[in-house]
This record gives sequence, structure tokens and C-alpha cells, in this order.
Amino acid sequence: MRQIAFYGKGGIGKSTTQQNTAAALASLGNKIMVVGCDPKADCTRLLLRGKRQDTVLDTLRVVGPDKVTLDAVISEGYGEVKCVESGGPEPGVGCGGRGVITSIQTLQELGAYTDQLDYVFYDVLGDVVCGGFAMPIREGYAEEIYIVASGEYMALFAANNISKGIKKFATRGYARLAGIVCNSRLVENERELVEEFARRINTNLIHFVPRSKDVQRAEINKKTVIDYDNTLPQASEYLQLAAKIQANTNFTVPTPIEQDELEDLMKEYGIVD
Amino acid sequence: MATRLKCNDTIPERDAHIIIKGDGTGCSIKSNSATTPGDMTERGCTYAGCRGVVGGPVKDAIQLSHGPIGCAFYSWGYRPHVADTDFHMKYTFVSDMDESNVVFGGEKKLLQSVIEAAAEFPDAKGVFVYNTCTAALIGDDGKDVAKMAQEEIGKPVVFFACEGFRGVSQSQGHHVGNETIFRNLVGSVEPEEDYAYSINILGDYNIKNDIKTFEPLFQALGLKIITRFTGNVSVDELKIMHKAKLNVIHCTRSATYIADMMKDKYGTPSISVTLWGIANMSKALRETAAFFGLEKEAERVIKTEVAKVQPKIDHFKKRLAGKKVIIYQGGPRAWHWPELLEELGMEVIGAATTFGHHDDYEKIYSKVGDGTLIMDNPNVPELEEILRTYKPDIFIAGNKEKYLAYKLGVPFLNGHTYETGPYAGFSGMVNFARDLDKALSAPVWKLVRDQARPSPVSTLDLEEDVA
Repeated sequence: MRQIAFYGKGGIGKSTTQQNTAAALASLGNKIMVVGCDPKADCTRLLLRGKRQDTVLDTLRVVGPDKVTLDAVISEGYGEVKCVESGGPEPGVGCGGRGVITSIQTLQELGAYTDQLDYVFYDVLGDVVCGGFAMPIREGYAEEIYIVASGEYMALFAANNISKGIKKFATRGYARLAGIVCNSRLVENERELVEEFARRINTNLIHFVPRSKDVQRAEINKKTVIDYDNTLPQASEYLQLAAKIQANTNFTVPTPIEQDELEDLMKEYGIVD
Repeated sequence: MATRLKCNDTIPERDAHIIIKGDGTGCSIKSNSATTPGDMTERGCTYAGCRGVVGGPVKDAIQLSHGPIGCAFYSWGYRPHVADTDFHMKYTFVSDMDESNVVFGGEKKLLQSVIEAAAEFPDAKGVFVYNTCTAALIGDDGKDVAKMAQEEIGKPVVFFACEGFRGVSQSQGHHVGNETIFRNLVGSVEPEEDYAYSINILGDYNIKNDIKTFEPLFQALGLKIITRFTGNVSVDELKIMHKAKLNVIHCTRSATYIADMMKDKYGTPSISVTLWGIANMSKALRETAAFFGLEKEAERVIKTEVAKVQPKIDHFKKRLAGKKVIIYQGGPRAWHWPELLEELGMEVIGAATTFGHHDDYEKIYSKVGDGTLIMDNPNVPELEEILRTYKPDIFIAGNKEKYLAYKLGVPFLNGHTYETGPYAGFSGMVNFARDLDKALSAPVWKLVRDQARPSPVSTLDLEEDVA
């Protein structure tokens, strides 16, 4: 069982990329569980074809910790992907970070992590704001981390910050950076920029996902691209990404760069005048 | 000068917290600073200082902690700050936050708790809400909930931001308690009565009815105590405490804050006094009386009242004279009491506090003799070592040190919450002397010395002998 966490700036297309990749891996015959770690609980919508499921935390709140079952919190989606949403409080109240911890511990206690699984995906909200949102990359959980980014400054800034967090945990011997997925925003020199950025922080651009309206089209139909129409060129992009992840063995401790270096990099590639 | 105890060989940072008077280096003790790692400090937290000391004694407020269940019991009932209502100290209230409340926020549950408690106890005059670490860390807006609850129940709902992790000791909690009560209650009503001869007593918490020993003395001068901050006090009395003409501060560590705030806002002057001991109590009456021009009355009261207790004190003095004392209290008692121990002919050879600040230590320093050990925030190994090496005749400390003293064969007096009490005022001094005598003269000490059990023998040695 390989456990993989997806991090990245909010709004970068993390959940879309994650679900399309999960669907692609599933279509290659893998058994997968996706754990959404965002209080908004929107990490499994496409896999479940729009069906809303009860979150772990809501279920715990309603039935109590003694009566919660895996059946109540796991829904099966496209390609028999097991979908879980940890859920959490509405914005501005409570502690979403503690929610992630509670939720993952509950899954562990209930025996959700079975040997039959080939992959567990964690889809974590935009910023690692506190210890709770680092839960998926603590010992015993995700060992591989993919950062979803684009050629925009703020996306790379966030990616650099996330790599600082990974580096901190790496000294304790846990998670490693496995690569950057570029979810294209049609920025000039984007591939070259992100490739160079990846090199500087000691990782690779694992795949460049081109911008395509088909992704939005599938989303409107509440499906991943492969589920919507597996003959589309974008479907093969996600299959390529899935195959690369499957073959990937390049797991590194990142070397985050200084803000000045990041700004110089942006200038060098002509994004900033 | 910093002093090394043997047990501190591994924590040399503790040296700066231990000094001996008269070595020529002055009162150079370190205090009110963060605990050194490795030091098993006995300090409490900000929540304990606010809930347990300052807010807790208010007799007709619902005392409600916003946090997990354990924060309720372990902050309640260990200080006998008694009052004359049936409600007081019988109950403790808590919002009982659980995992789900932490994740989804505890504000709704807090609001519900306040409303339910107020409905269940309609005679209560208000609700005091104490914030705990848990609620603070997840960002519950307890202050806003208190505001909503106040509108709902039509009584004051006072929110104390006394999260345990603030500050270095419980001392911060006293400060929060003072500020919060001042801002939320003091001056919220304007009664029309005549308050020309009225005072507040600040920093007395009515431990075992201390107030009953000194309130009649002030009354005999013709003075009315409006508010006792916060012993046997009601919410309504806190609201009108700004009407007093003088603040008389007993515990300066925990209640000078509110005196200062009242001086700034209302111009109320204050004096610092000690209400324990014959000389100190007399001085307190004289200084208070002088403010109101009641000097003659003071002399009359002192003369009559001291005459009543002096023969009894003389009796105990004969029995106590020459005995050596180590005293360890939370704060000011360690400098209030050396003088009354002297009145009984006893000698202080060591004095310590849990959360005293530098001004407390300066007062201790000025009141004890050369060679006296002064310690800040001592831990159990340190206390054990000084009891063994200094061999006092009696150790005056709090309940948690009681069995340490007994196990070492040292007579003990509970100065924190008193043995029988009360100890304040003139009549309390007799109780104090009697309790000291009882502790020192208990027949058990003779038995312990005569029939001490042999030291336990290691079973390992026995086996070797057999072999």
C-alpha cells in the first residue's frame, strides 16, 4: 500500500488533479481509497458523481465514537475507489486541524487501512496552517507527497512553503517529496519555469497537465475526465500521470529556496518584468 | 547570593532562586520567571489563579468553566473561601467540551450551559465564565457568547480570559480576575446611600471565615465595609465597590491591580495593611482610622480587644518561644507572618513563596534575620533537603506539603487553608497560636522519636545472607 498526499495552493486544481489521477490509477486496476482532509468536504465529488456523503466528523458527532462504522463513512465511487471525507467545522469556528487528526485516527481504529488497498490518497486543504493539517504526513501515513502547482508566482511560493514543511518532517524520517504536478495556467514559459523550480528544490516536474476545457466539461457533469469520456486527449494526460506515479521512485528531501531566489527565478523566465 | 542545594547539582539554574540573607549581596533573588526545564515546580496556572482564587469566592455567581470536564473538579473546593449563602461552593459548573465540541467549536454549548445553569439556579446574581486552554486554542469567542447570554438571561455574564497557558504562574490569573471584575462589574450601578464612612477590604478571601475576626473591628470604628474583594462577597457588592472612600489592601500580590485601577478611574486612595497578628492588626486599624479622623475610636477598640486576647497569647507564647520555623506560602503570607511568629517568640529561619514577585521578596528580606534562607518557587526535592538540613521545629506550608513534613518527622501547620482557623484579626491570632502549639506538642512526635521503626532492609542483602 502506497500512501500519497496532495498539497498545493488553494484553488490550484488540487482536488481535480487528485481525483482524475485516482480515477486513472483505478482504471489501471488499482484498489484506491481517497481521504478528503478539507473541512469543505469537496475532495471526492467527481469520483462519487456528485453524490454527497456523510463526513467522518459529522457521523462521529451524530452517532458518537462508539457507534461509528466504516460503512457509514466510506462510499464507493468510480472504479471502486473508496471515498472518505473527513469534513469539519464551518469557516470561523472550532478547530479543523484537530478534525483532521480525529478523522484519520478514527479511520485507523476502524481498520480502513487494509492490505487490499494499493493506494491511499490524502487531499489536504490549501495551506498547512497548523499541526492538524500536517497529520497526513506524520509517521505511519503518507510517505509520498505531490505538490500541485502552476507557473504563477503565488502557486510556486506556496509550493516552496509546503516543501519547508516536508523538510521539517523529513528530519524525523517520514514523508518525502515525490514531485511537482504542473496544472497549467497557460503562463508563458510555464513548463520550463516549473521544471527549473522543481530542480532547485531537489525534485522533478513529474507531469505537465495541459489546460483543457474538457476538465471543466467533465466537472459540470460531476465526473472525472476518464469517467466522462476516456477517449479525450485529457484522459490520456491523467493516465500518463498515473503511470508516472506508479513508476516513480525518486523520493527526496526538498531543498526549499529563499524568497529572493524565487523572485529572481520568476524574472529569469520572463514572467515578471 | 545564589545558593546551591545538593539536589540542584543537575539544575544549576535554580541557584538564582535561593538566597541567604546577610551575605552582603542584598535581595538578589530571581522570581516570577518561566520555570526551568527539569524543575518539578508546584506552580498553578492562570486559570487556577483566576477561578480558584479571585473569582471563585464570589458567593452568588454561577462559577462556570468553559472547557473539558476535568477543568471543573480540579479547580474547585480546595480553598475554603466560605460564605453565608447555601449556594456557595456547593456547585461547580462546566460546559464539558468533548472532541466534537473541539472540532466544531464550543460556543453553542457554552451558550446553552450558561442559559441552563441560570434557569436551574434563578437566585444566582450572575454567571462567571472562565476560559480554559482548550477553548482558547480553538478560538471560541467566549466573550461574545457571554454578551449574548447576558441579553438572554438578563444578568451579568462575565467572561474571564484566564487560559491556563498565559503567564508563568497562577499570579497572572489574579491579574486577569482583577481586571475583568473591574471592567465588567465595578461602577455598573450608582446607589444613592451615604458612603462617607466606608471602605473596601481588598485581597481577603475569607478563608475559614477570616472576615468574622476583623469586620467587627472596623465596624466598631464606625466604618462600613462595602465590598470584600473577594471573600463572602456578592455580585451586587462588587458593582458598588467604587463608592468606598478607601481601599484597604490585605493581599497586595493578588489585589493591588484593582486598587490601582480604582485609583485611576475614581481617585480612590488605598493603604496596604496586614490583618494577621496583634501588632499588624492594630496598625491596620490605626492607619485606616487616621484616614477618617477616627484615631480615638481606634485606640479604644485596640485597647479593649487586645486586652481580651492577650492573656491567651501570653500563655501560648511561653510554650512556643524559641521554636524555629520555615514558612512556605503562595505569596505574601511569607512576609506577613514572620512578624506574628516573632510576637509568639518564634524565629523564622526560612521563607519561600510559590509565585511571589520581587516586591514580595524585598518585604520578606526586610522582615527576617541574617542567615535566613529565602527561596522562590521551591520544588519537593528542595523542600525535603531544607527540612532535613535546617531541621526547623515546625514547617508552615500548604496541604500539598503536609505529608512531606510528616514523613520527615517535622511538625506541620497548614497556613494555606488553616488547620482550624480563622487566623486573621486579634481573635484569629489566638487560634493561630493554639494550632501551632497543637502541632508542636502532639504526642506523636515523642512516640516517633522514642520508637522509630528500624530502616527497611533490602531483600537483596537478606538473600545474600542466606546464601
